[in-house]
Amino acid sequence: MEQTEDTNFVKDILQSITKARKTLRMYPPNNPMYIKTLEETYNKFKEFFEYKEDLSFRIGQDSIYFDSEEIYHKAEKEDNLALFFFKDGLRELTFKKGLSQEELEGFLKIITMDFEKEAEDEDVVTLLWQRDFQNINYIVDDTVLLDVEGEDYELKAVNEAKQAVSDIEGLLKAYDEEFKEEDVKEVPIISFTDKDLTSLMKELEDDAESKIDKLSDILFEILYRAEELGGILEDIFRFLKDTIKFSISYGDFKAVIQLINRAKGFIEDPYSTDEIKKYMKLLLIYPSSDEIINLFGEVLDRPIKIDDNDIKEFIKLLDKRAITPLINVLGELKTFRVREKVVEALIYLGKQDIKTLAMNINDLRWYVVRSIISIIRKIGDKRANEYLLKSIKHGDIRVRKEVIKGISELGGEESLPQLKERLDDVDAGVRIEAVRAIGNIGSIKAKNIILEKISDKSFKERDFEEKKEFFRVLSRWNNDPEIFDFLTKTLKKGSFLWWSKNYEEKACAVLCLGLIGNKEALPLLYKHKDSGNKLLDELTQTAIRRIERGS
Amino acid sequence: MVREDKKEIQKISAEIINQTSIILKTALIHESTNIALRKAIEKLISLLNPLIETEKGVTFELIGEFFYVNNIRVRYALEYLLNFDFLTKEFRKRGLGSVIFNNPINPEDIQMFIKAFITSGLSEDPYDKMLEMMDNSQNIKIDRLKKIIEDRLKKVGESDDIDTRRIIKKTYFNAVSFTKGVMKKIRSGERADMKKAKRIVESMVDQLLEDEHLLLSLTALKDYDEYTYHHMVNVSVLSMALGLRLGLNRMALTELGLAALFHDIGKIQIPNEVLNKPTSFTDDEWKMIKKHPIWGVKAILGFGRFGSATIRSVIVSFEHHMNCDLSGYPQVKKYSGLDLYSRIIALADQYDAMTSSRVYSRTPIPPDKTLSIMMEQAGTKLDSLLYKFFINMVGIFPVGTIVMLNTREIGLVYEGNMAFADRPKVLIVIDEKGKSVRGPIVNLSEKNENGKYIRSIMKTLDPEKYKINLAEYFL
Repeated sequence: MEQTEDTNFVKDILQSITKARKTLRMYPPNNPMYIKTLEETYNKFKEFFEYKEDLSFRIGQDSIYFDSEEIYHKAEKEDNLALFFFKDGLRELTFKKGLSQEELEGFLKIITMDFEKEAEDEDVVTLLWQRDFQNINYIVDDTVLLDVEGEDYELKAVNEAKQAVSDIEGLLKAYDEEFKEEDVKEVPIISFTDKDLTSLMKELEDDAESKIDKLSDILFEILYRAEELGGILEDIFRFLKDTIKFSISYGDFKAVIQLINRAKGFIEDPYSTDEIKKYMKLLLIYPSSDEIINLFGEVLDRPIKIDDNDIKEFIKLLDKRAITPLINVLGELKTFRVREKVVEALIYLGKQDIKTLAMNINDLRWYVVRSIISIIRKIGDKRANEYLLKSIKHGDIRVRKEVIKGISELGGEESLPQLKERLDDVDAGVRIEAVRAIGNIGSIKAKNIILEKISDKSFKERDFEEKKEFFRVLSRWNNDPEIFDFLTKTLKKGSFLWWSKNYEEKACAVLCLGLIGNKEALPLLYKHKDSGNKLLDELTQTAIRRIERGS
Repeated sequence: MVREDKKEIQKISAEIINQTSIILKTALIHESTNIALRKAIEKLISLLNPLIETEKGVTFELIGEFFYVNNIRVRYALEYLLNFDFLTKEFRKRGLGSVIFNNPINPEDIQMFIKAFITSGLSEDPYDKMLEMMDNSQNIKIDRLKKIIEDRLKKVGESDDIDTRRIIKKTYFNAVSFTKGVMKKIRSGERADMKKAKRIVESMVDQLLEDEHLLLSLTALKDYDEYTYHHMVNVSVLSMALGLRLGLNRMALTELGLAALFHDIGKIQIPNEVLNKPTSFTDDEWKMIKKHPIWGVKAILGFGRFGSATIRSVIVSFEHHMNCDLSGYPQVKKYSGLDLYSRIIALADQYDAMTSSRVYSRTPIPPDKTLSIMMEQAGTKLDSLLYKFFINMVGIFPVGTIVMLNTREIGLVYEGNMAFADRPKVLIVIDEKGKSVRGPIVNLSEKNENGKYIRSIMKTLDPEKYKINLAEYFL
């Protein structure tokens, strides 16, 4: 390649890098845009390396150079790639032939990072150093690490150190004084044994374990001496909170459990001061805070392995303050398995405070409300019914269904007016749930509501499946003569209008009689066995079989 | 050669050296027909031949304490340490420097090498004997161990050496200057910059991985006005060098180095007039001194972001004076043993403190005496296993020790010797005629034609007594 051609090519590569920097920030790694951009950038490098062994960029404050030629310039500080490298002391960046796509991706990921938010304690040079790329080299200027005064330190210190001149006369004197053959030194040599190496291996293995427990130990040791040290209690409390936060962020729930248990020990210890007890009580409620619960959710969603028992034990540390944040987390979670964990936590906490749990039923997210209702149903606390009733008109069909299911399990007569209203819901599924719920209440009032609805003129217009459900529910009053009477009347009823719909109702009555299982219905059923209506005939035969077999 | 290949060669080479050592150890106790020996030979050949073919010949060379393969230094994992040590010693014993493989080899070649190697060990002129026995070998050649001065020239060109020294000095003084800045910032209520601290330590890790001796030699100098900051950096360097011996990786070394750098940060709460007091501390002053590990915890946790490096540093700050038997301070109620990093840093801290005149005592103790004192504490206050590694690292005669040699020369220990802890490299300052000189640097592991050491240490001298300023020689 010619010089200018080279420069243009490199300019193009750099443009690809800046473009990739933006794209990789926006899209996750499995996104086609992400993959395409990465591949395109890599292909440009690959093409360049067909002719050259390496590609070096020299970094200026606002410019990037290739072969002394400026190929990038940006005066503004914002999104300035040159400044991004320059401020951390990076002065030259070299990509070598052999660069793999993984390495390039690793590099691009580093330069897409927002160091203020994502890596507060690292800069671009540290991340390059940590990754130790085989085919990306760099030159840094470490003086950026020092303040102005510090830059001259070496000269000053060396001059000072050299000021004291060695006393050669003294040494010559030593030469005369101290050479005596009998002074020959026998030095004991310590050599390594296999046992030493085994011990060392064990040490290194043990050292790989988490250090959080150790940190907690230290903080509690300082706490023992808090009075003597004076004014340190608040700091230690803050550090213990940070320890909890850090542990959760790494999924180390065991460490948090241990830490909280030690805090409990301080509360129970008669020698602890009131001040210490006060702080320890505050520490006990910290795991239930929004901050920790949000982190808990984030960690659960990450692909890291956490022992289920540890999670269960952690949940036991929580109190009702955790309910609302946990519900928020429930709305954010991505994976089903994790949602189960949070639901478990909410079941545990909801038992302690059903009111707080039920109050969250007003959440705007249908799936959250549905989950809350499902939790309430699992808890089975009847006090939650009043909150369920308030949500029975929720805008989302799925929520309405869940609410009705909940009421069906927890509610009583008091729920009938609202349930009755739902029998005319716009959604057939909701209407079906409502009739089932009314059936579950099982009272005379409940029965009358259903009978009233079936007797209503408009009932004929309902879908056959819905009608069947109404009659199926009626069968729960199997010993009620009024129902038997109602069903036989329905079966005998004739009509010229709506004749096909009339058959549907008759078929439903047959179904219900079959379910009730009263043998007195058999003569009537036999009459309708060969009615000529396929639907009615089939259901009648099934009902007869059912009654005759007694099941 | 791309770096990936280089790493691969290093890995295979380490395995080859390890396997060679196993074969020679086995051959010392078994006949050449032994099945275990034959299998070991087969394995060696399977490792060697592909490398010989791809590299078109392979030369293994012992330079100083390290093996080089085709001029690449072989780095090895901890589990190879004993075998590497064995082979280094056996090579030196025979004056054997290089083994050259020009063509792929077969079991007969190896058997011939083993026979020559073992037989020469019993000879008065082991190298010549070995050369004679290997004379007929077509595929394996050997060469004599080169003198250290030649080694140095081979390893790095003279100008490179000066340049490396300059860079390492810069790294060291940058670290001290940065530490001074951090202390100043914390005193004035500002936060320490962990980003910068990491960068400083990473530079030191790089230098240690490149050539640990040079950076270590700078820790021998104590005559600085602001020694507190030098002490913090020295402890960091010594700890990382020890960590390197223990097989810690780069990231772990960085955390260790950071923890060591900040181990004494709690001292910012102690007034300078107390810290630099020329006389002994009063009871109240001692009480104050004993609180610095806890103040350190507070200072480090106040740096900001809570991360693995912060936690390590907190642990070390709290534990570095506790002693392994928990007899030190702070006193604790319910506590498990000391952390590995704390035990490493305690050794480095104690060594540097005792050998300097500024930390707690006005009278420095010579390095070799310091090690003797520390030896008495190994197993109680100090970790005995780590102490072994520490002494292996600094040498029985650490850098900066003034030594009298049996050749009627006086010198300064200039560089440790990993294979022979009692035979470091020494810079001659008074020659055998009693004249003041500056050099040469001699290697005490060198032997004459009779297989006897050319020079040995007779005794050490107290630098305070004879007013030797190491800075003149090391800076």
